[in-house]
Amino acid sequence: MKRRDFLKLSGGVCAALASLQLDSKFLRGLSAAEAAELPGSLGAKEVPSVCDMCFWRCPIVAKVKNGRVVKIEGNPRSPTNGTRICARGNAGIQLLYDKDRLKYPMKRVGARGEGKWAKISWDEALDEIAYNIKETMKKYGVHSMAFFDHGASAGFFREIFEELGTENFSNEPAFFQCVGPALLAYLYTVGYQAVGNAKVDLANAKAILLFASHLGENIQVSLVKDFIEGLAKGAKLIVVDPRFSTAAGKADIWLPIRPGTDLALLLAWTNYLIENDLYDKDFVKNHCIGFEEVKKAVKKYDLDWAAKICDLPKEDIKKAIDILAQNKPHVGVHPGRHSAWYGRQDVQRHRAMAILTGLLGAVGLPGGLYFPPTPPIAKVKLMECHEFPVKGIFEEGEKEVPPPEVSLKEDYPFAELFHGSPTDAIIKATLTGKPYPIKLWGVCGVNIIQTIPNPYQTKEAIKNLDFIFCVDNIPTESVLWADIVLPDATYLERYDGLYSAQETKDYVALRQPVVPPMFESRPAFQIALELGKRLGFKANYTSEVEWLDAQLKKAGYSVAKLSKTGLFTYEVNPYRDRKHLSFDTDSGKYELASEAFADEDFPAIPEPDFAPAPPKGYARLLYGRVPVHTFAKTMNNIWLNNEWPENHLWVNDEVARALGLKTGDEVILENQDGYRSEKPVKVFVTPGIRPDAVYLPHGFGSRSPMLKTAYGKGVSDTFLITHYEQEPMMGASSHRNNFVRFIKDGKVLSIPEIRPVPPEIPRFENRKRA
Amino acid sequence: MSQWAMVIDLNRCVGCHACAIACRAEWQVPVGEGYRRNWVKRLGPANTPHGLAFTFYPGLCNHCDHPVCVSVCTADEEEKVFKCPKTGKTKKMKVRATYKDPFTGVVLIDKDRCLGCGACVEACPYKARYLNEELDEPKADKCTFCYERVIRGEVPACVKTCIADARIFGDLGDPNSEVSKLVKAGAKRLVSKEVNIGPNVYWVGKEKDLYLLLQQAPKEKTWENV
Repeated sequence: MKRRDFLKLSGGVCAALASLQLDSKFLRGLSAAEAAELPGSLGAKEVPSVCDMCFWRCPIVAKVKNGRVVKIEGNPRSPTNGTRICARGNAGIQLLYDKDRLKYPMKRVGARGEGKWAKISWDEALDEIAYNIKETMKKYGVHSMAFFDHGASAGFFREIFEELGTENFSNEPAFFQCVGPALLAYLYTVGYQAVGNAKVDLANAKAILLFASHLGENIQVSLVKDFIEGLAKGAKLIVVDPRFSTAAGKADIWLPIRPGTDLALLLAWTNYLIENDLYDKDFVKNHCIGFEEVKKAVKKYDLDWAAKICDLPKEDIKKAIDILAQNKPHVGVHPGRHSAWYGRQDVQRHRAMAILTGLLGAVGLPGGLYFPPTPPIAKVKLMECHEFPVKGIFEEGEKEVPPPEVSLKEDYPFAELFHGSPTDAIIKATLTGKPYPIKLWGVCGVNIIQTIPNPYQTKEAIKNLDFIFCVDNIPTESVLWADIVLPDATYLERYDGLYSAQETKDYVALRQPVVPPMFESRPAFQIALELGKRLGFKANYTSEVEWLDAQLKKAGYSVAKLSKTGLFTYEVNPYRDRKHLSFDTDSGKYELASEAFADEDFPAIPEPDFAPAPPKGYARLLYGRVPVHTFAKTMNNIWLNNEWPENHLWVNDEVARALGLKTGDEVILENQDGYRSEKPVKVFVTPGIRPDAVYLPHGFGSRSPMLKTAYGKGVSDTFLITHYEQEPMMGASSHRNNFVRFIKDGKVLSIPEIRPVPPEIPRFENRKRA
Repeated sequence: MSQWAMVIDLNRCVGCHACAIACRAEWQVPVGEGYRRNWVKRLGPANTPHGLAFTFYPGLCNHCDHPVCVSVCTADEEEKVFKCPKTGKTKKMKVRATYKDPFTGVVLIDKDRCLGCGACVEACPYKARYLNEELDEPKADKCTFCYERVIRGEVPACVKTCIADARIFGDLGDPNSEVSKLVKAGAKRLVSKEVNIGPNVYWVGKEKDLYLLLQQAPKEKTWENV
């Protein structure tokens, strides 16, 4: 068919406005050459795959013209995102073609942190890593190795470390710096992991409650879509946040809470629901345990008390809880994700959210917590260690590595439930050799220096190691510290695992190569197999396709069958009839009071616990996300950098007036330990933040000169987070107990205390100075 | 008479910039100061007479009824045959290098004829055009409402990627289209006492959000100095 004729058939504007179709459908009949000449991405070859610009992993369609990826769109077959993808997903092309990409394996020739390397072969690099793993095991034992993992590639290496038997086989920043506390709280209330991608049915909620949420600023496409859908259908929105966030901009009620006092609000609301008979009696009576204990425990917490502690108007607090009660049980209480805020209260704060959810009966019904599906795929083991690489580590005939005499999880009774060991314990063990030495780190897909609190300490720990290797796409500041650097292929150049959202609708999606790996980069799958081979592992599968087919077989699919569509969907039942409601908890009920917590001497019901107020002259440092960046991972992407090159510091307008600051002024930040920002940051003056806090978006201020686009742009929040406390139940590291004041033109500007602090709230005491 | 138009729903928009990047990818817009066809500006959090507000200015070419960029074009007039993408009907008109398409109302640039003088870039009160100097010869560039995609049955790239379904594209010539209904119901445009050249991009949203947005309306007759 000639192009002219084709245009006639295309139906023009009317069809355009009426339908969404894959390009390939209406380009049928064009020769490849004709198709490639069409403007924009039209006529491109389409390869369905899965995004990896963040860990939510939306199904995508990559468009290729003349061998180059020119466009990425959402996969229209996806029941969650459809054709939609976020800015980062759209910009994945510029990760693939990033000029600063790691191109070949390298060996350090300068000092650690200098980033001076020599190019080496894959064989040499893998031999060296295998040699060091064996040496470390021989000298210090299996547990002397720790693996820091994040992202799709990390799983392959995690399998090696897990199989070798170290208890530190995983240290996901996603867990011990982020979602861990919330996850534990919901696990012990509902019986499943209701957070992560939170199992809250926002699309069908009649009222939504958010705590310090970055919804809209931290983009998970399906979640934002559901949130907006819910609001468009008329859901009332209550946002509790010291900052006027994107979500607050859409809220019916904004509660600018004093940071660290959320528990007061939650306990007072719980009491209010009970005292005024506003809770879901059917749900509580038939499906919960611990109601009477809760009732008794919260009795003394009224709205007046909460108003004082939280520094909020009582009428607003009351209005908010009345809205939630009126709309029960179709209420979405969203637990958020990053919950490693203050340390001690973090699990209990989220327990209080889960209790509130239960009292509202917002469980298993539209709008509330839902039950996630299990994708119909098989779990298979990629490789096994038949012959341990180091003799004498294991006793004859022993199948499992004995645990260390003193575990790094020792201090945290609930850490046992989760992969790996708490980050702080690993870092301390690396620094001090106690309770046992850690001498080797593997790092894959995570910029640990811009992620773990107190990066100065992290660097000191790295200096103590015998060996550290990094697998990544780009030379982040963490990669600069590696002895051996391995260039991972990007997600557009490789097969990977299978992905599903496990939401109210679900799919199983295949990641497959869109273009071949550039330079000498290799897919993590292949790197890990090669490394495993050198450690005496036997691979159960020799290729990605074989490995994937083994997982897909159960569902009647194969890579060949999925490669055209990229995914298959399956039926999901997120809701439950109340007659058939059961929970996978110890009691089989929704646990308002937690006996398991009490058994370990933690409160069965959350108690008031407030984060210390800023020291005089300082404001609390809050941080968060911007919608075009993922953590500290995407700042070097030229499109994303162009959209948002640097961060600005949000300063309350009254504070700014008192200090004579205006938007655009530059200040150096100095924290409570005397650490200063690497350079001045521009101030953004706004009434949208409390006077006792400032807000600095996370991930900026790259210190890797090898990231030529990102280097030195903006200021790093992580380098100002030098104080942290451990969550006592599972060992997460807190991030929000840091405070800053300003330095302008060489003069210290102390932050005036505009909102008085009541005596119930302790004040932060400086323990050290840099 | 057709007039393609867009309505952006600020109640839905979360300011995620997906639109801006999708556009950059689709039309190979290079990275550079002012180089964009499609943008997102953050407005607030700021006080308004209607309360504290935080919203966005997702912007693009307005495909104005009286496009001042067209009238300042320095290329010579030439006769051009236009074709209606819906009916196939044709029409001859004398135009310069940039013109308003008679069948869709879309303002387009004939890249083969653009002299790269930059007059249209300066004239636009919305700064919706840029001069692409990364090419062998500089050419003006801007949003086309993805004309080339739409006539082939696709939707504009920004609409397709919008994670919140905040962008509604359609024809104001069709009274039953969603855009017509929204415009009739009071969607707002960026016009001022000084500058009203008939823009065809509209926004809906809360009063407080529109208050911040409407402050972005141009007040300077930029084209008069070109």
